[in-house]
Amino acid sequence: MEAQKELKRKSLIIDEKEAVSCIEDGMIVAVGGFLLSSHPMALVRQMIKRGIKNLTLMPAISSSLEADLLIGTGCVKRIITSYCGAESYAPVCPLFRAFAQQGKLEVYEVDESHYYSALKAAALELPFFPDRAGVGGDFAKVNPNYKLFDDPLKGEPLLAIPPIAPDVALLYAAHSDPFGNIQPLGTGFGDRMIWLASKKVFVQVEKIIKNEEVKQFPERTAYFEVDGIVRAPYGGHPFAGPGYYTEDAEHIREYLAAAELLAKDGDRTSYDAYLDKYIYGVDTNVDYLEKVGLGHLLSLHEDIGIEGE
Amino acid sequence: MKRNYSTDELLACVMSRYIDDGENVASGANALVPQAAGLLAHFHHGPNMRFYMGQTWTNVFNVPSVQIGSLTDYKAYRGNAEYSRRHEEGFDRAFLGRKRGAFSTFFIGAIQIDRYGNLNMFGVGDDYHHLKFRAPGIVGLAHCLNFMHNIYIYATNHTKRLFVEKLDYVSAVGYGDGPDFRKKWHLAGPGPKMCVSPMAIMDFDEKTKRMRLKSVHAGFTVDQVIENTGFELLIPENVPFTEPPTDEELHILRTRVDPAGLLRG
Repeated sequence: MEAQKELKRKSLIIDEKEAVSCIEDGMIVAVGGFLLSSHPMALVRQMIKRGIKNLTLMPAISSSLEADLLIGTGCVKRIITSYCGAESYAPVCPLFRAFAQQGKLEVYEVDESHYYSALKAAALELPFFPDRAGVGGDFAKVNPNYKLFDDPLKGEPLLAIPPIAPDVALLYAAHSDPFGNIQPLGTGFGDRMIWLASKKVFVQVEKIIKNEEVKQFPERTAYFEVDGIVRAPYGGHPFAGPGYYTEDAEHIREYLAAAELLAKDGDRTSYDAYLDKYIYGVDTNVDYLEKVGLGHLLSLHEDIGIEGE
Repeated sequence: MKRNYSTDELLACVMSRYIDDGENVASGANALVPQAAGLLAHFHHGPNMRFYMGQTWTNVFNVPSVQIGSLTDYKAYRGNAEYSRRHEEGFDRAFLGRKRGAFSTFFIGAIQIDRYGNLNMFGVGDDYHHLKFRAPGIVGLAHCLNFMHNIYIYATNHTKRLFVEKLDYVSAVGYGDGPDFRKKWHLAGPGPKMCVSPMAIMDFDEKTKRMRLKSVHAGFTVDQVIENTGFELLIPENVPFTEPPTDEELHILRTRVDPAGLLRG
């Protein structure tokens, strides 16, 4: 009998460029996280470097400056959003606001409830998901994709929310084993719902852990079966990576100052300088981190401030 | 009159008094004052409350002090969480009024508010595709206002630009166009209870559902409130001053809720 060919479980670890190589102009791309935490910025920066255009961006359910950056770099034609702001740094993200006001950015207006209804409809392959949020208000007027209808059983007015299945989802988590058992620290926000509905999913992690570690705490696995894992330590910078580092207030203010100048006066000088320094002028996540600086990065570590008891 | 507290501290104290023991209180992004109000109620009179912190549910009654801040603070999560909640769960059950695991109390804001407590968070301008001011979006407030039982509107300023005769867009409905609106549209929750601004507290008239002045804060007059409101407020015969913060409230606020003094500016 012929010896059986050696079978081996396949590692899903790829590099950051490969992870975004399947993204094409005009796709629906989801980017996970929440406000100023857990955005896969190493992947986002690589996508921007590729010069992708006309995306429908489905950012985190509460989106922030990661979406603003994608808008400012010309990647986005349409944004699906229930919120785009930066907590105490900026009540509204500056370029989201400016581009929308100038008619350069289409807004697909959703309530958070619609965001999940759209993903649920896609995951369940339903033509729509019924939702009561926004009934009686102007949602169907500002978002023509919605339809107000009377439910066939009780006749109650509801909104029909059409499915949204992202072509590619870019997510962030603390840990994964080589086989894509994804273990975030913290709640993982709404990322699992994005994962459920998306056609392809790439996850950027702080650390690759052994499969044995996953099996010690399987309840930590938030989702699995993904298309690629990218190890990018500190790659969520300038946003927080739960369990590793906090958001970089100084860098966020540097970005905002440049973005606000562009939003207000149309003056691209500072914004372009920011992009050249941190995105177009660097190759990989490691090069980016070198630009930010080792001392500065380490000052963001979560253990800073823990004093002796 | 010299006050020994900031406006944000006053508002946190005012809001905290509406929160009963046993409530599950959450606050949204960029909402330090509501966050402080929830924690103040918890420490002051709510040992059985739950508070939504770092995206988790927790009870911190026995914790000496916490600090209001970012909604995504993992340090707050790691030290205090009792239940790690995925965000989407909020749309399966947790906003559904009186059901188990629900948010029962939430403070919400807007860029325009009308007399029936309807809210605009889309933007200002006639042409939706070229708004004069694009606002951040409605977050989950359309959903919250449908279901939740204790909804309070928190106005960060009191001007005619915020309190308007007519909204440019209705992003989330309070009482719509009057008393029958919520029933007609099958909206399960009772609608907003109260509106708190830096000048005054307002509630809603039981019959007409129109916004009504309830009290003015120290340093302001009824006339000032009327002048700075873009619609006709109902004005009762007697409008008292808002109860100022007590020493105990300020002490808890400054030592256990906001030691860093974010509410003092």
